[in-house]
Amino acid sequence: MKNIMILMVMVLGVSFLLVAAGSQEVEDNGMVELVIPHYKAGQNVGGKFFLPQVDRFNALYDGTYRIVIEELPQDGYQDKIKLLAQMNKLPALIEGVGDTVWFEDYMLANDRVQDLKPWLDTKPHVKGLLLDDALEYNTRDGKIVSLPLALARPIGLFYNNTMINPSKPIGEMTHEEFLDMLGDQKIAFMTSENAWTTNLFYTSLIAAEPGGVEMLQNGVEEKIYDYTGPIWREATTNLQKVLQDYASGNTLGAAYADAANSFMSRRSAVIPNGPWMVGDFAPDSEDKWSNGFSGDQVSGDVYPGNFAIANVRGYNWWIPNGLPERELEAALAFLEFMMSPDELEAFMLVEGGVVPKLTLSEDFLTKQKKNPILVDLATTINKDTRLAPLFGDVVPGSIGNMEFGKLLPKLIDGTFTPQQFCEELTLKAAETRL
Amino acid sequence: MPINRIERRYVPFAYAFLLPTIAVFLLFYLIPIVTVVLTSFTRWDGFSTPTFNGLTNYLRFFSQSSFLISLRNLLLWSLIAATLHVGFGVLVAFVLFQKPKGWKAVRGVYMIPNIVSSAAMAMIFRFMFNNDFGFLNSLIRLVRPSFQVNWFFESPWAFVAVTLTWLFYGAIITLIVLGDLMNIPSDLHDAARIDGATGFQAILRIQLPLCRYAIGTSIILSITSRIAMYEAIALTTRGGPGDDTMNIPIILVKAITDLNYGLANAAAVFMFLMGMFTLWIINRLFRMNNPIY
Repeated sequence: MKNIMILMVMVLGVSFLLVAAGSQEVEDNGMVELVIPHYKAGQNVGGKFFLPQVDRFNALYDGTYRIVIEELPQDGYQDKIKLLAQMNKLPALIEGVGDTVWFEDYMLANDRVQDLKPWLDTKPHVKGLLLDDALEYNTRDGKIVSLPLALARPIGLFYNNTMINPSKPIGEMTHEEFLDMLGDQKIAFMTSENAWTTNLFYTSLIAAEPGGVEMLQNGVEEKIYDYTGPIWREATTNLQKVLQDYASGNTLGAAYADAANSFMSRRSAVIPNGPWMVGDFAPDSEDKWSNGFSGDQVSGDVYPGNFAIANVRGYNWWIPNGLPERELEAALAFLEFMMSPDELEAFMLVEGGVVPKLTLSEDFLTKQKKNPILVDLATTINKDTRLAPLFGDVVPGSIGNMEFGKLLPKLIDGTFTPQQFCEELTLKAAETRL
Repeated sequence: MPINRIERRYVPFAYAFLLPTIAVFLLFYLIPIVTVVLTSFTRWDGFSTPTFNGLTNYLRFFSQSSFLISLRNLLLWSLIAATLHVGFGVLVAFVLFQKPKGWKAVRGVYMIPNIVSSAAMAMIFRFMFNNDFGFLNSLIRLVRPSFQVNWFFESPWAFVAVTLTWLFYGAIITLIVLGDLMNIPSDLHDAARIDGATGFQAILRIQLPLCRYAIGTSIILSITSRIAMYEAIALTTRGGPGDDTMNIPIILVKAITDLNYGLANAAAVFMFLMGMFTLWIINRLFRMNNPIY
């Protein structure tokens, strides 16, 4: 009896451990459910289009596939993906890579990414829409490692045309003229999260320096670790001046929501941001407006010096290798769904951008004309507009996403001179190397 | 002490009941700790096979610009934790021990921050310390209208702001000390009263010495919490402005995001050793191996 009791205690103990340490998978009746962690949810501006798009997909494939979005904060998304990759628990669909060094050195080098080429070869209606540059960039050793972009969305800025009244398009101004025109008005900057709006304007300041655009363009292929050169020093000097004289009052510690709120409450006249923000200026977003702000007060333009931020040479949606067949089918079905003309047009109406290889429908053109900001953005880009990738995309991930924003308060309060700021950033970048 | 025949019959039961604990310890503590220590001497990106690189990770860790600042912050926070933080928790315990009117309600309210997650607390403090609409600055502006401080994002206030996120939340300390206070035999108090001891003398000569274990344990808990403090920083300053509020866990997580697991584990080993050192020194200082009664 005693031995039986001992045995029972041991079995119970070990069973408890096995249950606690194991995991369970729930199978639905033939339906594949993909749980996708993503930041385009909740209050994130990208969720305005993405979540309804997921709903449309689920409705279309009702009973076959279902996508469930697990909400994540935007600045934690890439870190979460890295951790999931480390645990070999990547979701079936991942958007972007944030840190290209990580993607290339670990995911691609270890053959952990699904080759999309065989699938794209069977989908000429999808492949035919892809931008040549994007396709070339995503083709590695004959494999297509992420879904190349079909849509280009140059990032510029938005301004409140009742607060400032540019005498000519901002793209035709220099930075000095632009700042003079601002007068006492402010720009919605931020230092928290990845300091996104500041990151954008800093990129335009780098691009304004001789050789700046080329340096940024080259940085896509080979990350930049040294920020002590004259381009960086000059751009940082100008950034310090802009942050000290033209930054909105809440810049220190501001996250994206704070910067957007500053603009949509007329406390700032300008916000650097991409066309996806257009959705916030639509009448159905008026709950976000205050202090007399209205979406029809907003105009869009490129940065001074006729510069816009765009990088089609990057990684987009990708699928990890080794998914069960049905999950892979579901993931590919979602990619195909997103690339359908209806979805691309719906996307452009909400978040702007252009799909050069898509023949636009009359319905789309009629609807687009009703949104003057989208028309603004479409017409400000011309053949002379210089395009380059974002500063955050040409430096190591933790520099663009974390260190830059962390150091900004010291640049603003003058603790760091521009040179010290650049040196500190260079030091931090060196520490990221293995 | 030798065991008798009857006790010996129950030895297998004792081992059987210990088995789950031993297995949990092995699986979730010992094996990971050994893995962390071993891989801290390797170059490891988390994917490929770790390759031995000697002390390289430790040298890199100690030579990082943010390491010395993290160490300075840790020492300051440990000092503040051991004195002000524990002191406040002990003070509240002694006040509650007097059982003033409403003491149970106060004890309950004092526990509330402990049932709110650290992440939520960090967000609450971000709002409280907001320069534009935060409670603290609004209060200060009643007497100084021009007051402008971005607590979490300006030097040297960021350090102060991060400290304030935990400084006065010592409910666990209060409960531990209160438990010891309530266990003091009443005849000791009676004897002191008969001998003519004042209330203050009773606290100083009887209650405080008899709470030595509880206070020592509280200091250990408090300092080790500072060594492992992550959410309060990651969700407020992220170690900034600059490196003003950096600490070792932030360095560790940053190394993980840069896929430098060898370096991250060197930081983890350092944290582990700091924890052990704290345990050893507080044990010695508070003579925690000596019986109280």
